Amino acid sequence: MTRPVWDANRLTLALAAGAAIPLAARIAETGAALVPALGLALALALVWQAVFSRARCRPMAWDGVVTALVFVLLVPDGVPLWQQALSLSFGIVLGSLIFGGRGRGFLNPVVVSLSFLLISFQGIPDAVAGTPVLVAAGVSGALLLALGLVSWRIVTGFALAAGLLALSRPGGIADLSSATLLISLVFLIADPVAAACTNTGRWLHGALSGALLILFATGTEAIIGLDPVISAAFLASLFAPLIDQGVIWRNTRLRARRQIRGGHHG
Amino acid sequence: MASSLLRHLTAPIIDNNPITLQILGICSALAVTTSLSTALTMSAALVTVLAGASTAISLIRRHLPSSIRLVVQITIIASLVIVADQVLRAFAFEMSQRLSIFVGLIVTNCVVLGRAEAFAMRNPVGPSLLDALGNGLGYSAVLLLIAAIREPLGSGSVFGVPVLPLASEGGWFQPLGFMLLAPSAFVLIGLLIWIIRTLRPEQVEVNDYPFQGTDGGARR
Repeated sequence: MTRPVWDANRLTLALAAGAAIPLAARIAETGAALVPALGLALALALVWQAVFSRARCRPMAWDGVVTALVFVLLVPDGVPLWQQALSLSFGIVLGSLIFGGRGRGFLNPVVVSLSFLLISFQGIPDAVAGTPVLVAAGVSGALLLALGLVSWRIVTGFALAAGLLALSRPGGIADLSSATLLISLVFLIADPVAAACTNTGRWLHGALSGALLILFATGTEAIIGLDPVISAAFLASLFAPLIDQGVIWRNTRLRARRQIRGGHHG
Repeated sequence: MASSLLRHLTAPIIDNNPITLQILGICSALAVTTSLSTALTMSAALVTVLAGASTAISLIRRHLPSSIRLVVQITIIASLVIVADQVLRAFAFEMSQRLSIFVGLIVTNCVVLGRAEAFAMRNPVGPSLLDALGNGLGYSAVLLLIAAIREPLGSGSVFGVPVLPLASEGGWFQPLGFMLLAPSAFVLIGLLIWIIRTLRPEQVEVNDYPFQGTDGGARR
């Protein structure tokens, strides 16, 4: 009776709008220097999707737009364009398209791209974005949360684990106030494709990401940068299917036990 | 007859490649392909051991009680591996250091035991030797191909000779650190398998878990 409200294109539109808010703040901050990178990322993402949808005889998917926007948001200033192009192509093709596109793989292409960038090239500077971007990311995160596109369980689990563990750091919770971290939490860690998809699993996935983040950031002094965030998102998304499986096993065991008990009484 | 004999030699190079079709010997393929020279040495060592082991096992196949056959096979393979390792240490010490334990680990290389068990135990010496050489060449071809991609991209050199001017020494080439890590070989072997199976669809495996459509029918 009720038609599904979210289809793939509407999801893409909403997420792209969500990513556009902090991106606008970022462009206002850095000026036009970001525009060539943005154009390149969008063109690459759409070309790869067109190639694969053609090869597989499927309708064109547009989720690459979100991938490109989030990639440009997170990639540090001063990374040469060819390195960005190579990393983004690697992430889109090997992180998403070879599995059949968005929703059929288990990784977020932006996480794969940025991992490739950070592992492959020496001396990638840390991303520094100012307070306006942080605020804008908070706004878009809140909007996506309200729309139900970002799981509040993942966000809460993440905030609890990262917040508690961050108390052991010299800077305390203030270390977590980074635009990179907030954008990654909204678009990468809470990405339904890469995250756990059972409700209990979402809590665990969020908590695991938060704990891994603080673990990877141990030894760095200042506000948490790109490297620990991406490593945590990557590792946590690899564990997401296992977390879900564990939750499902536990659920079946509980149900089986309930059945037996019910049998005795009734 | 001659052509069917020759088939033992040529089939494993692409049609029945130990790495890309049988998915054997992956561990060493990841480990030694950071440079062409290690890949070449490893290939030579493996071809030697594989040919020796298959010939020896094929020679004694009628005298081998099946209850202890694996023990005997491993003993023969291990002896040959020790010889190969010692020869490398004696004549190419530096190379044996770079290959570290991977020559020794040929003992556990699935290609060697796999061919002994699957082919040499049931076939005469001639075909066994050809099959061993063919599989060795198939393994070597993949190793050299992967190394030929990883070494130039990862360190800007071919057989240790710099060919691309490194950015750290004033050139333009920025090496890809990813290519020096084992996962890159995984990705490259995966892409290679993809290419081969696109060109030869008969290699594609049956889908164990076909997608169940909403109409209840299974699709490939």
